Amino acid sequence: MTSTAQRTRPLAWALVGPTLALLVAFNVFPLVYNIASSFTNAELIGGEWRSVGGANYARVFEDELFAGALRRTALFVLCAVTLELLLGFALALSLQRGVPGKQAVLTVLLVPMMLSPAVMGLYWNLVLNGNYGVVNQALSGLGFDPPQWLTDRDLKFWSILLIDVWMWTPFMMLIALAGLNAIPASIYEAAQIDRARPWKVFTRITLPMCAPVLGLAVLFRATDALKQFDLVMAVTGPNDAATQTLSTLLYQVVFRDGSVGLGAAFSCVILVLVIALATVFTRYIDRLQSKDVLA
Amino acid sequence: MRTNSWTLSALLAIGLAACSGESSGENATLSTAANGTPSIKVWWFQWDPATGLQELGREFQAETGIAVEVQQIPLASYQEKVFLEFGGSRTNFDIVIGDSQWIGRGASGGLYVELTDWLPTVVDLATIHPRAAKYLCEYPEGSGRWYAAPCETDAVGLAYRKDWFEDPKEREAFKARYGRELAVPATYEEFRQVAEFFQRPDEKRYGCAMPSDRNYDGLTMGVQNLLWAFGGKWKDEGSNKVVGHLDTQGTADAIEFFKTLMKLGPKGCERLDYGQVLESFTNGSTAMILNYFAFFPGIQAQFGDKVGFAVVPSHEGRRVASLGGQGMSISAKIPKEQQELAKRFIAWFLKREVQERWITKPAGFTANAEILSSPAFRSKTPYNAPFADSVDAMRDFWNVPVFNKLLAATQRYVGMAVDGEMPTQEALQKLAAEKERILKEAGLL
Repeated sequence: MTSTAQRTRPLAWALVGPTLALLVAFNVFPLVYNIASSFTNAELIGGEWRSVGGANYARVFEDELFAGALRRTALFVLCAVTLELLLGFALALSLQRGVPGKQAVLTVLLVPMMLSPAVMGLYWNLVLNGNYGVVNQALSGLGFDPPQWLTDRDLKFWSILLIDVWMWTPFMMLIALAGLNAIPASIYEAAQIDRARPWKVFTRITLPMCAPVLGLAVLFRATDALKQFDLVMAVTGPNDAATQTLSTLLYQVVFRDGSVGLGAAFSCVILVLVIALATVFTRYIDRLQSKDVLA
Repeated sequence: MRTNSWTLSALLAIGLAACSGESSGENATLSTAANGTPSIKVWWFQWDPATGLQELGREFQAETGIAVEVQQIPLASYQEKVFLEFGGSRTNFDIVIGDSQWIGRGASGGLYVELTDWLPTVVDLATIHPRAAKYLCEYPEGSGRWYAAPCETDAVGLAYRKDWFEDPKEREAFKARYGRELAVPATYEEFRQVAEFFQRPDEKRYGCAMPSDRNYDGLTMGVQNLLWAFGGKWKDEGSNKVVGHLDTQGTADAIEFFKTLMKLGPKGCERLDYGQVLESFTNGSTAMILNYFAFFPGIQAQFGDKVGFAVVPSHEGRRVASLGGQGMSISAKIPKEQQELAKRFIAWFLKREVQERWITKPAGFTANAEILSSPAFRSKTPYNAPFADSVDAMRDFWNVPVFNKLLAATQRYVGMAVDGEMPTQEALQKLAAEKERILKEAGLL
């Protein structure tokens, strides 16, 4: 056995090596480099780097901008994912029960998800434009005083949220539909024989059996929404106090302000938050999967 | 395990070497065009003057055999692209036409070639307008150390609908409402009154528009015309002290006045970039705009004698126009031979006869003081005279190496004040404290 293992070791390295190299080059090295930078005064251009200890981290936690961006991002994740989950699940239930032209409806519903967020941002910029956007033109035509979706300080955050919901509800719907289709028909037949009421069927069969897959969908969307960047950049830019998220703040700090050290500290804190959130979610999903949902 | 450690060490070393950014020296060759002739690459943002410069570049090539390529980068990403280039060992451009505010960063960061000794050998510095020299070319301001040659000189001016102002019905209605003649506003109070008069959303007619975008510097450039006129300041005149100089009643009054103007424009006028300000005028809906003169030739071409141009309004006798415009700087991150080619182009561009041709290009505005004051120039177009007068009244934002951080903070806090997210005085106090923190960190205070 030993000699076989020794013989195959070069082959094993040859097979694993390229992947390992890529992993180190594109994941491990940037991570280590970023952590090291976060303890320096590194600037985007020029200048000697010197250690500043934990000063950058102190700034992160003292900075009102970071606190504001964190609050805004949390609100965005909570609202976007909740709305997308509810709407997506409702759409999946409707489609599962059968609607005329189901395939066509499904295709149309999936279109927003397949387009680039940057393109969507520009598109919605036109649709919601205060002067010539179709939404405001329609509202004016109906005799309403149309709001300023993209410039009103109380509205622009919610406009971005609306675009995100429009884009990603189909994703939730797709996952939920897969979960619904995976529930064996025999379980529903048994419930029917037992004369279970629809609400009971939904709360005792449909929802629990879909929960793990919905949990996964929530995890994917939550981590994605946490990184919200493209839409904010396209709609209001990175330096708007009303819409700045963690990712756009990071962009502003590193690429506009040129503060690489501070930006590295920001990104390390964001990474810890994302890991914490992902851990909570995965544990929750593990628990759901280990339960006997039919018990 | 030993093998694993060696493998990882080697990979890390390769990665570190790749990220070290040291020049290998292999790039130190002259640039050539596709046909093998020597060439110069110029970067500027996307607008009419860049197209005009490309036309001049072709004339330069015909005279010298050196090709000039002007690459136009979208304004929104111009700053990032340029400074990311400077982060490398060699820039993709030889000449960058950088915003006036960049000069401190370019000069003190060793990114721009110093031109102090060379420039006087090719141009009489006395012919360059002193304000253009101070804000576009020298760092520190007025120090006599040159890091750029003037390229596009620009300032904010006023464009208005002359046909509306001259309409007898409008004139009569205005006089009946305000008790004075409808005239081009000389003060901000008059400007607001005229804007209020023309603000008729039901007729899709609006009073005024000015830069207010939050993405790069729009809001700052829009507000600072009023800021200086109302007696506000960005900083102390003789030092970089900000607290007690920025957070004053004058600055607060300017912002409060600016907020009232934001209610007299097209919908969403509190977030207009330069192009959108222009569009609000060219779509025929807005009576007056404050915007850079470089946009006015296009307006003139579209509207003919239906439009008029003037200097920005004043307040209690103070009139200051936000400086625009850019200088030509040579990248320090190109080979010496390439720098010499760039110098040849700049020397040619600064010649009086070339400057005479430059002002015939779309929005080509010169810093040559003799041309600016010549009757021939002033009378050539309706916007030339107010432009020349504006150059005498122009001032710039910070141009220290950390201008970008100061600008981002200004955009953010002034934006919050304008949007009503924070009381103006509080926003100014926070902005002043933030600016002093940035300046102290940079060793400038």
